[in-house]
Amino acid sequence: MTENSRLRGLMLVAGREIRVRGLSKSNLISLIVTVVIVGILAALPSLIGGDESDDRIGLAGDTAPAMQAQLEAMGGFNITVYDTTAEAEQAVEDETVDAAVADGSLYSLNGVGNELEVKLDAAWQTAAVQTNLSQAGLTDQEIATALTVQPLKFETLEGDGGVSSMLDYFTGLIISIIMFMMLMTPVQYIAMGVVEEKSSRIVEILLTSLKPWQLLGGKVIGLGVISLVNLIAMVAVGLGVSAATGMLSDLPEGTTSAAISSIGWWLIAFALFGTLAGGVGSLVSRQEESGSVLTPLIMSLTLSYLGAIFLLNAPTSTFAEVLSIVPPFSGIAMPTRMAITEVPAWQIGLSGVLLALAAAGALALGSQLYKRSVLYTGSRMKLTEALRRAA
Amino acid sequence: MLEIKDLHKRFGDTVALDGVSLTAAPGEVVGFVGANGAGKTTTMRIAMGVLAADSGEIVYNGAPLGVEQRRRFGYMPSERGLYPKMKTGEQVAYFGELHGMTKAEAKRSAAELLEQLNLTDRMGDFVQDLSLGNQQRVQLAVSLVHDPEVLVLDEPFSGLDPLAVDVMGTALKDRAAAGAPVIFSSHQLDLIERLCDSVVIIGNGRIIASGTVEELKDKEVKQLRISVETAEDLTARFTGTVTRDGDDYLIEDGDDQEALRIAAAAGRVTRFAYDQPTIAEIFREAVTR
Repeated sequence: MTENSRLRGLMLVAGREIRVRGLSKSNLISLIVTVVIVGILAALPSLIGGDESDDRIGLAGDTAPAMQAQLEAMGGFNITVYDTTAEAEQAVEDETVDAAVADGSLYSLNGVGNELEVKLDAAWQTAAVQTNLSQAGLTDQEIATALTVQPLKFETLEGDGGVSSMLDYFTGLIISIIMFMMLMTPVQYIAMGVVEEKSSRIVEILLTSLKPWQLLGGKVIGLGVISLVNLIAMVAVGLGVSAATGMLSDLPEGTTSAAISSIGWWLIAFALFGTLAGGVGSLVSRQEESGSVLTPLIMSLTLSYLGAIFLLNAPTSTFAEVLSIVPPFSGIAMPTRMAITEVPAWQIGLSGVLLALAAAGALALGSQLYKRSVLYTGSRMKLTEALRRAA
Repeated sequence: MLEIKDLHKRFGDTVALDGVSLTAAPGEVVGFVGANGAGKTTTMRIAMGVLAADSGEIVYNGAPLGVEQRRRFGYMPSERGLYPKMKTGEQVAYFGELHGMTKAEAKRSAAELLEQLNLTDRMGDFVQDLSLGNQQRVQLAVSLVHDPEVLVLDEPFSGLDPLAVDVMGTALKDRAAAGAPVIFSSHQLDLIERLCDSVVIIGNGRIIASGTVEELKDKEVKQLRISVETAEDLTARFTGTVTRDGDDYLIEDGDDQEALRIAAAAGRVTRFAYDQPTIAEIFREAVTR
C-alpha cells in the first residue's frame, strides 16, 4: 500500500465521520445551543453590571479640589464643581448630577448604590485628610509621602493556600467542565461507532479495503475534528463576547492563553481516551454491552474531572501538583490549574511529556485491541483474551 | 487467475479448513457449494484478507495477493452490513472511494448501479428506512460499485427478490464476460447450474469434488432410462442392474443397444436416454459419499 493511499483511506474514514456525525442535525443543533449558552454566560457580567455610563457627581466646599483629584484618579466619574453647597444641592434636585458631596455631606435624591457609596466615602476620607494636612501647612510633597501606603502583601505559610478569587475559580471551573464534556462525548461516540460497525457486520467489508488502524484512526480523527470545531467555536464565542462587552480586561491574567493552551491539552488527552475507547469498544458485539467495557474509561474521566474541581480550592497543594502531572488525570487537571495559578514551567513540561507518552501507549494498546477483536463476534471478549490472541 | 492454495485453518479444536484449494480462471464463474459449516465462508474470508489462514496462500495472477490488488476485488460477506444512518447514494459512493475511485467516479457509478436496481428515488434516504429487500440491493451495489476485477460473493442470492436475482446474475455474467474470475457460494443449486462454468463442492473443510459442470455430470454413474408401451414386465430380460422408476426402467452397466432391441420388440419405445444428474444430485451424492 502506498503512503498516499494509506493516508487517503484514513482521511476517507475521518471524512465520513465528520459528514455523518458532525453535520448531523442533532450535532448542529447542540452546537448552536451550546454556543448561544456560552455567549449568554460570557455576556452576563456586563448585563448584570447595568449601564456603564459614568456617575455624575457634583462637588462644592473646601474639599472640592482634593475630592476632584481623588475621583478622577479612580475614573468613571463625570465631575462638576459648584461654587456653593446650595448650588450643588440644587443640581441634585434638578437631576443634573446623581449625587453631590459638599461640606461633609452626601446629597442624593434617594440614596446611592453601595458601590458608589464606598467609592465616594473612600475619596472623601482621603480628600479630607489631604485638606486637613494642607491646612496644617504641609507641602503637597509631604502629604503625598504621608499618604503613600503599600497595600498588604499576602504571605502564605501553609502550602495549600493560594486562595483564588471568585473569578479565577469560575474560569478554572468552566475550563474543567468544558474539557470534561469535550472528552466524554466524543469518547462515547467513538465506542458507539466501533460497536455499530461491528454489530452491523459492515466492518467485514470495510476491512477488505482498509487496515484496522485506518478504520480506528479515521474514526478518532473524525470525531476529534468535530469536537475541536465545537471547542474552538465555544472558546471563540466566549472570548469574543467578553471582548465585545469589555469584560476581557477584567478576566484574570492568562485566561486567554489558558483557554488556548487548553486546546493543546485536550488534543493529547483526546488521543489517549479516544483510541482506548475504540479498542475496548471492539471487545463487544452489541451496543447494550458497550457500557460495561467503557466503565473504566468513564470512571477515570469522571475522577479527573472531580479531581480538577477539588484542585480549584487548593491549586498549589501537593495533591494539585501530583494530579496535574500524573496521566490521565493531568489532561483535565493541568489546564484547570494553569488557569487559576502560576505553574512552574518544569511541571507543565513534565506533565505534557507524560501525557503524550501515555497517549502513545494508549494508541498502541487501543489499536492492538481493536485489530484483534474487531472481527470477533459473539459474547463479550475478555481483555486478557484479546491481548493473548494473535492479530 | 485467482488461486486459493492449500488453506488450513483451525478455530480452537475445530478444524475449519483442511487443505482447501480452488482456482478461478479469468472469465470463469465458479460455484462454491457445501453444507452449512463446511468451510465456504471461512475460505472466502481468508481469500478477502479479513481472516488469516494458519497456512496456505492466495495467489493472484501468479503473485501472492496484496492489499492494493484486493481493493479492486468485490466482496459480499455472508453477514450483510451497511451503515444504517447514512444516505443510500452517499454510502454506495463512499465504498467506491474506499476501493480507490475518485469522488466523481464513485458518485457516477453509485448513481448508475442504483438506477439499475430501481433505487434512484431512494438515494437520499437513510439505509435504515429502506425495506429489507431494498437494503439487500444496496448491499449488492456496494459490492459492485468499484467495477471489481474479481468477485468473491458469499451467498449473494440469499434474500434477493427475483428482480435482484436477475440483476445479480447478469452482473456476475457481465463481470465474467469482461474477463473477471468470479467465485460465489450458494445453496440455490439451480442457480449454480444455470450460472456456473465450474463447481467446487466442499465438505468438512475439504474439497470433495470439483470440475466443470459437464465433468462432474460425466463422473456420475450413468443410468439408461427406457419407457416402453407394453403390458409385459421386461425387468428380467434386460441385462445389467435394472430398477423401476414408475413405469420406466432404469438400467446401469447394461448393453444399451441390446436393451433398445428388446424394448422395441416388446412395444412402442417412448423414451430412450441417459439421465443427466442435476447439480443437486451430484451434491447429495458427493456429501454422502
